[in-house]
Amino acid sequence: MMPIWTKSGEKRPVTLLKVQDCHVLRYVSKEESGGKTAKLLVGGKNVSPFSKPESAHEIFKEAGVPRKQKVTTFNVTDDAIIKPGTPLYAAHFRPGQFVDVTAKTIGKGFQGVMKRWGFKGQPASHGQTKTHRRPGAISTNKAAKVYRGKKMPGKMGNIYRTSFGLKVWRINTKHDIIYVNGSVPGHTNCLVKVRDSKLPTYKDCNKNPPFPTFFADGDEELPEDLFDEEIFQFTDPSVTFA
Amino acid sequence: RVSSDGKPPKFQPPPKPVIIDRKTQKEERRFLSPEFIPPRGRTDPLKYFIERKDMIQRRKVFNIPEFYVGSVLAVTTADPHASDKSNRFVGICIQRGGKGLGATFVLRNVIEDQGVEICYELYSPRIQAIEVLKLEKRLDENLMYLRDALPEYSTFDVNMKPVLRMEHEEIPVNKLQVRMKPKPWSKRWERPKYNIKGIKFELPEHKMKAAQKWSQPWLEFDMLREYDTSKIEEKIRKELSEELEK
Repeated sequence: MMPIWTKSGEKRPVTLLKVQDCHVLRYVSKEESGGKTAKLLVGGKNVSPFSKPESAHEIFKEAGVPRKQKVTTFNVTDDAIIKPGTPLYAAHFRPGQFVDVTAKTIGKGFQGVMKRWGFKGQPASHGQTKTHRRPGAISTNKAAKVYRGKKMPGKMGNIYRTSFGLKVWRINTKHDIIYVNGSVPGHTNCLVKVRDSKLPTYKDCNKNPPFPTFFADGDEELPEDLFDEEIFQFTDPSVTFA
Repeated sequence: RVSSDGKPPKFQPPPKPVIIDRKTQKEERRFLSPEFIPPRGRTDPLKYFIERKDMIQRRKVFNIPEFYVGSVLAVTTADPHASDKSNRFVGICIQRGGKGLGATFVLRNVIEDQGVEICYELYSPRIQAIEVLKLEKRLDENLMYLRDALPEYSTFDVNMKPVLRMEHEEIPVNKLQVRMKPKPWSKRWERPKYNIKGIKFELPEHKMKAAQKWSQPWLEFDMLREYDTSKIEEKIRKELSEELEK
């Protein structure tokens, strides 16, 4: 995470996400998957092929791509289908776009009810006998049972969570880095899924994105850094208020 | 001098001139700003590389001078609510924190009997000028104890003139021992954890001895805490000098 400044001098925290060897692995049609739209399987970071059996390598062999650490699905309309085996780059996103980021949260292990669910616990003194961080009552008398989903101690973290509506401030095409506003679930160097935002406020925010994706061998020559309009670039002189 | 024999004194040849090679001396002392050194951790070095590129870019446009904790600085920032739209603050640097683009430094001064501390970000675009009025080092790297010291040690004239110094001189270390206000202090500065050398403790002997109870003499031998930055520093110095010459 890094600070970034706007043209008016305000500081925003920003997370750096690196697009490392992403390839499209397979196209699954609407009828095959049984959902409402077609799906594209996309694989992430390259990993050694020796730790998994040969049967697991079939998808990667068909696409002609080394084994990937993570495979995710993206729901895709019919006009955005990409051929399996195409690499995906950070230039697929443009500054000013809004994005949802999904990742597995940091695992905290077995945790009590105060840390896991934010319960208040009991006072430290004034006669409390051996009860300072316990849940207290778990149900009423009339119910005569404990409802399903009652908040209780258990394993916390290590589940998929999404941060919605994060603005993309800057894209580095040379190193394939996306600068995304705010914080993102997961620990440092963990694998993360980045998607166009599904929030209704940002439905019309994407102005001419590279569709279906940015092709590196195409005619477009992008500069090394793409900035959003409001970012303060370090090549400019210091900010002054007129 | 009167000679014992009555003869004229023996001819003393003049001392030989000592040739100081300025070039070799200059190379030995080079300042690397502490925010360039990456902290120990599991982050990808690519992140620090990208951050350093941005820091170098900012340094090309705006001059960030060399300064240490204990030097007196004057900082002008852009302020939308001031009448001239700019704000000048003079103070002694008591702490330099943060790594990378988020590096900060805290300036302290006492204005009209009120102690004021302002934390500035080195790479913030709102800073318009940083002048070093007095470049010097102190005995410690963290002068937070000035909050509990007598206010005369934190007062600096707002219209102070910059103290001129020659380019190739060593940076002077001010061995000032500061006198404190009576206890209670904001932190127990006499404890060995803070390792403060710049305070003149006027506490009784038994209190100083009792404070040594919290000493951790094994810490300096702990090998897991060692972080040797010499090689990293060399690489970064080389990178910096190449980039800034372009």
